[in-house]
Amino acid sequence: MMKRQKQLLAMAAAVMVVILAPGIAAAQGEAPRAFDGHPDFNGVWQAIGTAHWDLQDHPAAAGPVDTGAIGAVPPGQGVVVGNTIPYTPEALAQKQQNFENRWTDDPEVKCFMPGVPRATYLPHPFRIVQGDKKIMMVYGFAEANRTIHMDKPERERAPIDSWMGRSHGAWDGDTLVVDAEGFNGESWFDRAGNHASYALQVQERYTPMGPNVIMYEATLTDENTFTEPWTIRMPLYRRLDENVQVLEFKCVEFTEDLLYGHLRKVPTR
Amino acid sequence: MNRRHSAFTLAAVALSWLVSPTASFAAEADYHHVHLTTSNATEAMKWYTEYLDCQPLTDRDDGVDCFGAEVVFESKATLGSSQRTGIDHISFSYADLTAKMGELASVGVRGSGVRLQRFEDGETLREMPGLFKHGFIFDPWGTRIELVEDPDTLGFHHIHLSSTDPAATLNWYQERFGGESARLRGQADGLRMGDIWLLAMQHEGGVPAATAGRAIDHIGFAVASLDSVAGELERANVQFLEQPGVPDGGRTSAKRAIVDGPDHVSLAVVEAGFAGVVSKMAEVTDITTELRDYTVPRTPWGTPDFQGVWTGDASHGIPLQRPDDVGDAAVLTPEQAAARRERGTLGSIWGYEAEWRDTTLGYVKSAPSRQVAMIIDPPDGRIPPRTPEGERLMAEARAARQPLPEGPENLSSWVRCITRSLVQTPGVYNNGFQVMQGPNHVAMQVEMLHETRVIPTDGTPFVGSDIASWRGDARGQWDGDTLVVEIRNFNGKAPYQGSSDALTMTERYTRTGPDTLEYRFTIDDPKVFTRPWTGMFTYVRDESQYELVEYACHEGNYGMTNILSGSRSKEAEAGR
Repeated sequence: MMKRQKQLLAMAAAVMVVILAPGIAAAQGEAPRAFDGHPDFNGVWQAIGTAHWDLQDHPAAAGPVDTGAIGAVPPGQGVVVGNTIPYTPEALAQKQQNFENRWTDDPEVKCFMPGVPRATYLPHPFRIVQGDKKIMMVYGFAEANRTIHMDKPERERAPIDSWMGRSHGAWDGDTLVVDAEGFNGESWFDRAGNHASYALQVQERYTPMGPNVIMYEATLTDENTFTEPWTIRMPLYRRLDENVQVLEFKCVEFTEDLLYGHLRKVPTR
Repeated sequence: MNRRHSAFTLAAVALSWLVSPTASFAAEADYHHVHLTTSNATEAMKWYTEYLDCQPLTDRDDGVDCFGAEVVFESKATLGSSQRTGIDHISFSYADLTAKMGELASVGVRGSGVRLQRFEDGETLREMPGLFKHGFIFDPWGTRIELVEDPDTLGFHHIHLSSTDPAATLNWYQERFGGESARLRGQADGLRMGDIWLLAMQHEGGVPAATAGRAIDHIGFAVASLDSVAGELERANVQFLEQPGVPDGGRTSAKRAIVDGPDHVSLAVVEAGFAGVVSKMAEVTDITTELRDYTVPRTPWGTPDFQGVWTGDASHGIPLQRPDDVGDAAVLTPEQAAARRERGTLGSIWGYEAEWRDTTLGYVKSAPSRQVAMIIDPPDGRIPPRTPEGERLMAEARAARQPLPEGPENLSSWVRCITRSLVQTPGVYNNGFQVMQGPNHVAMQVEMLHETRVIPTDGTPFVGSDIASWRGDARGQWDGDTLVVEIRNFNGKAPYQGSSDALTMTERYTRTGPDTLEYRFTIDDPKVFTRPWTGMFTYVRDESQYELVEYACHEGNYGMTNILSGSRSKEAEAGR
């Protein structure tokens, strides 16, 4: 087992090297193929890193006082290509305000659905179920899930704005390309308050980099918030733990005191 | 697999109005009737007699006479309320409206009750400057009824056309059906047809919906010569929804035509002597007991293919346990089935607005199930006796219920937006259920509370018994055409019928036809029940009109805030 994990780490390191090179080249090792010849993404995946704290380069920082080192923010190298998010001045001011209030206003604190792309790189695993009709992504956090319509070449408008939006997918060679839109504009991208509006359009690219790594890219376009499209890029790793499952994490009950404690008969807040 | 042959009938009712023969006006046509849709003619007759002071029609079992206007009911599945169609509502006038509204308000909304539509200030009545006092109610089948206090015209008062061009609409009616142009109290443009007003008002917000199939299906006019009027309508390029002729089941030899009028208002044009049609509940198949030769389709990797969007709509209203009042009936009659679902629906929808009711309610879209009860084992259809520990847990749960909850944990996991139920008992809305399959997993997404279970079918072992959860740990295996799912490791915090953390639940999913999926669940909880028991209902596939939308429950749980703050305020009032 130890040996296998070491091999995995070595492989992951190799992939990291690859992505530093311009563009994305295929890494060593063949990705498994599904019955229809496309890459088979069935499995449990998870991002490793600190994108969930801050998409951009960030130093170590203190967290809430009473959580000590557990709640502290680890330093991280950003996943934004070019490290700059091209906010409009108003949107940048909003981001800064979000940052100031992050310990109370972040939808993640409240166990709200994380939206796209945030669901992908939260520190929780997610499962991809890939069949012959649609692809479902079932996230560990907040019971969030997405149906990727692979069977609707005539793309349909989202029936209503929502947290997780509406997703249509197609294959571009071995890359799964997902276009997501129809968001409600309430989601943040990370715990640093990065954000967008309901006009957000996300194009995601899932490219196999061997059997156990997917290179994930998401290009974000939103005229209300950004002056131009921008892209994040990070690897997603297959969880190889024995019998790994995405376990139920119903976080609602852990937020009830936060949200309703002041309305208890004996107030807790 | 025990499936039986059976047939099932769609309940349908419609209501139509016939103006008093004494109504007269200088035109070649008479205003004849309004036709409303309900699901139970007998119940509808009772309702209009009891609450709006109409009288049963002589020699008819499907209509009432409301102050000289006949209202006839035809059994038919309704497509939703009249609100926001081209015939938004009908109106009755009372000399003392405050007293009348008080009387109606005391009826309540349960069963075939009276639903009140309140104004923004919470009141049921409002003064319209220059006109009169008015308010709105709904009949149980979705017809919106305006009540006014107009001493000049008591009884049946008016029909409200909601039009994109009211002036042109009134002209259209007058040219064909006569009536005098008039202004109600000098304010509202309309046509005076005998004692009845036909008012046309500007439709707010877009285009009115077509009336056909809605609660007010159409209005009718009697003409001296149907042929000449039909000819004129044809020349004017008016679309015929029903060609002139004696309709099936017509009580007399008088002919009828139905056309698509302005704003897609359906209009019946009838000859003198027309006395409605005798309607029969249509024969339709009972989804729960149908047996067909059916080969379950396979996925490319060889397992039965269940994928698609299913709904429990048709099974809404089936009680868990067999009721006492059905004797030893194997299935309900179509009429009983329709009435049962309606009772369930009406008890639940009173607080909701028009668009929601008209577009969301499952009951308008599929025939109701005739299944008597969900429990199929034990054969008496009742939950088996509880163990002493099971009784103790039930008593404890009852005692924990508080009229004024102290905190979220005093409320159900459903109200808390944590999980709905271990069994997705179909309710009045959001019964969607999407199945997605991969070679080693079946993903089941339940619309309400957007929960998705991913069930391994590849022999993956259960997780350790210390990992308890609300919905448990599920593993699936294929048994011929059936997916058998075993679920363990419940935390017991969302009990089903008093179940405990000792519960093992087994689900069996079997496609019984192209669009039917039988669902069986077995509750095996030796701590609580003296024996395992099994329930069953059927999902229907409906991808043409059903797509799961995101049920963001917790994210918008204003209910929790309101319940708790309301409780605190009641405590403060009571000085506790």
